[in-house]
Amino acid sequence: MTEQTKDKKVHGVVAEYTDVDSLMAACRRIRDAGYKRTDAFTPFPVHGIDDALGIKPTVLPWIALGAGATGTMIALAMQIWMNGIDYQYIISGKPFISLPAFIPVAFELTILLASFGTFFGMWALNGLPRFSNPIFTNPRFDRATDDTFFLYIDAKDPQFDQAGVERLLGDAGGEQITAVVDDDTPTKIPRFLLTAIVSVIALSMIPALIVAKMRVTTSDKPRFHIFMDMDLSPAKDAQQTSTLFADLRAMRPDVPGTVARGAFDGNLDYLTGIDMEELSMTDAPRAQRLVAAYAQGDDASGQEGGDDESADSGDAAAQTDKTPWLKYNPLDVDMDVLQRGQTQFGIYCATCHGLDGRGNGLVNQRAQRILATAWVPPSNMHDPTLYQDQYPDGKLFSTITNGVRKMAGYASQIEPEDRWAIVAYVRALQKSQNASLDEVPSADRGTIEQEVADVKQQLKEAAEAERQRQEEAAAKAAAEEAEQAEEAAAKEAESAEAENTEE
Amino acid sequence: MALAVPTGLDNTKERPGERAPLVLGDTTYHDITEMVSSIAEKPPGRAWVLGFIVAFALLNMLGLCILYLIYTGVGVWGNRAPIFWGWPIVNFVFWVGIGHAGTLISAILYLFRQEWRTSINRAAEAMTIFAVVCAGTFPGIHVGRAWLAYWLAPYPSLNLWMWPQFRSPLLWDVFAVSTYATVSLLFWYMGMVPDLATFRDRSKNKWRRMAYGILCLGWSGSSRHWMRYEKAYALLAAFAAPLVLSVHTIVSFDFAVSQVPGWHTTIFPPYFVAGAIFSGFAMVITLMVPARKIFSLEKIITLRHLDNMTRIILATGMIVGLAYGTEFFIAWYGQVPEEKFAFINRAFGPYAWAYWTMITCNVISPNLFWFKKVRTTPWMMWVVSIFVNIGMWFERFVITVTSLSRDYLPSAWAYFEPTWVDWAMLVGSFGLFFTLFLLFCKFMPVVNMAETKATLAHELHLSHSGHGGH
Repeated sequence: MTEQTKDKKVHGVVAEYTDVDSLMAACRRIRDAGYKRTDAFTPFPVHGIDDALGIKPTVLPWIALGAGATGTMIALAMQIWMNGIDYQYIISGKPFISLPAFIPVAFELTILLASFGTFFGMWALNGLPRFSNPIFTNPRFDRATDDTFFLYIDAKDPQFDQAGVERLLGDAGGEQITAVVDDDTPTKIPRFLLTAIVSVIALSMIPALIVAKMRVTTSDKPRFHIFMDMDLSPAKDAQQTSTLFADLRAMRPDVPGTVARGAFDGNLDYLTGIDMEELSMTDAPRAQRLVAAYAQGDDASGQEGGDDESADSGDAAAQTDKTPWLKYNPLDVDMDVLQRGQTQFGIYCATCHGLDGRGNGLVNQRAQRILATAWVPPSNMHDPTLYQDQYPDGKLFSTITNGVRKMAGYASQIEPEDRWAIVAYVRALQKSQNASLDEVPSADRGTIEQEVADVKQQLKEAAEAERQRQEEAAAKAAAEEAEQAEEAAAKEAESAEAENTEE
Repeated sequence: MALAVPTGLDNTKERPGERAPLVLGDTTYHDITEMVSSIAEKPPGRAWVLGFIVAFALLNMLGLCILYLIYTGVGVWGNRAPIFWGWPIVNFVFWVGIGHAGTLISAILYLFRQEWRTSINRAAEAMTIFAVVCAGTFPGIHVGRAWLAYWLAPYPSLNLWMWPQFRSPLLWDVFAVSTYATVSLLFWYMGMVPDLATFRDRSKNKWRRMAYGILCLGWSGSSRHWMRYEKAYALLAAFAAPLVLSVHTIVSFDFAVSQVPGWHTTIFPPYFVAGAIFSGFAMVITLMVPARKIFSLEKIITLRHLDNMTRIILATGMIVGLAYGTEFFIAWYGQVPEEKFAFINRAFGPYAWAYWTMITCNVISPNLFWFKKVRTTPWMMWVVSIFVNIGMWFERFVITVTSLSRDYLPSAWAYFEPTWVDWAMLVGSFGLFFTLFLLFCKFMPVVNMAETKATLAHELHLSHSGHGGH
């Protein structure tokens, strides 16, 4: 072996040992002899050999500490920036920067980076990976990872002298002392390996290049979809056929009863209480506004706005009201309509206007009692200005619809037909207060006269009863007074007697 | 080089004033190298081939199921309103738990200087990695559109320009499990490097030598390298130990941070960690008992190792049993009607069968380990370890499914029924696990040779100097 290695550079000398104890002794010996560039190669970590060889402690823990601290900082900065500043969203009222919630990720990244620092730091400090090492040229060295211990002194050591070192190692119990020489394996990377590496890299770039090209190319072809997600909607085109419905049409006809917006075809006279024909001649803009309002609203409750203000604020205004109101109720008034009107009046109107329409409903009474300052008393339906000749049915209808003064419009609560029914009932109410017996059919007059007589009789009896009750009450009060006076006198007498006996 | 304690394979008998040896027989350093390396060097035996065929078939079934799932959508699972977590999350928590024993053995037992860990830690760490691979599969496909799972990562998306929600335990999970997988992988690989160098140096074949040569990074066994290596190993162990506890704690937050009765409890983190160690050690036994037989490792993985592990299973099993009792007690003591109902419903409701399976397997069966006969008879402990694995799967099932199936509103109650895809994926995940594990046994050093030699050296040194026997 020595002949073959003569012309090669000597890197150092290595000796073999068979057990830990002799290795340790040899280590101590060469350390004491002053060698610094020494190393032992063992199949497993031998504790205490650091001291025996004079190896200094490693800086690895500091690398780990630095990497771990970096991990903590990165994690906290990342979370505070991402969730606290850049992209805030509220989840169950938690603060945007909530440190307790950020601890787990900070902990994990600390461990992760510290581990990376330890792992890669250790290999870097050891100068690994390093696949070529002169010591591997010795075929016996394969047993360094099995069961043999090697002690090595490097030629770079200032004390190095090959013959002396070999002697020293032999004296220390070493066997098979050999020089470590240059590695004679070729340093060139084999051609096939290079080819393989280059072709693998080239092939692996193909998919990435295809994707990159697709991202920048404009094309009128549909995108290539691996996963459809919801990118392509199954919506149908116009006039397309579809098997989804029995009639094979993709476009669906309107559901029966549908009224498209703007397609309203109602009777505007009926809905406004105004003769629209005439209004369009005298006040075309207002007629247009009304038509537009009713055509747009689905429930025919278009508001007239300020126009009624002038129409209903007193006699003077009434004279200037040029609106062509419908004179008569468009409903065919019969008993059903009147009863419907009575019910509706009872529900919506009587609270203010009173059941008899005299304007003294419960709301008004209450308002008077608490002296509500902004209160405007409801109209008395029996005021002659509200009779049909001065206040046409159409106008009354409009008042119910749109309201007047303190009264709100009832269009949203009462259907148009019911509003007309209320108008009819109000007219009947007005009539009832001014009717004469002549207007009643002759067949019913007898019963009415009888009823009137009965009522008068009842009233008279009631008055009599009241008078008697009052008299009785007065008599009773007088009797009580007398009794009290008597009692008081008796008490006085008693107390006077008691005083006398005490004395 | 004979040991202080004589031959014979039973080293579980206590000898006053003396430590029973960790490695049996007249074993030398070279014997250890031979025993472990020959597993990878010889052609695989019949048991290995048979096991690999079965496992690989199941792995393919899992792959096909995942393709079917992605192509069709998550509706192929039994996950329906209100049980949207179902089996995938049960499997996830189960597999994450299995992983814990590996890191526990390699990190925590290392920090406590428990030398008996050396012959089992390599396989246990491998088990950790493969279990985490199985675990990671499930949430990955459970997100629905699996091809967009990378949205979980806080990367600057050019299209969306939004960030993930860092106040959610589900995102903590992403960080915890991926950190755990990464650190475990580093730890495992770093531990293997010296042994891979042994494989390299024993290789006769040029290709084999090149492959192991690249994997071992040019390891030479230098004492300077060993010194830094040991420091790095200790540091990684110190980082991994709290990491193990944090991972399952964070997994338990997925449940505990919610408002669902049966989940919203502070006992979850320690209870999940104890359960994880429990199931992990059971899985180590499930793997090691056949492996030491098939690969003739009885001298290195001795009955004493198995005995020690059964004791840990017994201890953690009792912790788990105590946790079940505590949960029940607090549900009653807390007097929250929904909470009380959730626990009574678990034990006596429609999932009573699952609950009592769990109790039988997890609380009753480990008590067999009180008997020394069971602790030292491999086939008996193997049977119990299988029971524990079943029980721990059911524990995750009971927690996940019973709470979701009946929470506050009776109008939103339902009974969970798994589909054939659920079953196939559960079985298939075992295929993935065992395929990886069998490949590991074939190509990697199954036992940490370097560290085992170090403990042997320690014993030899003691027998030389301390007791003067030889």
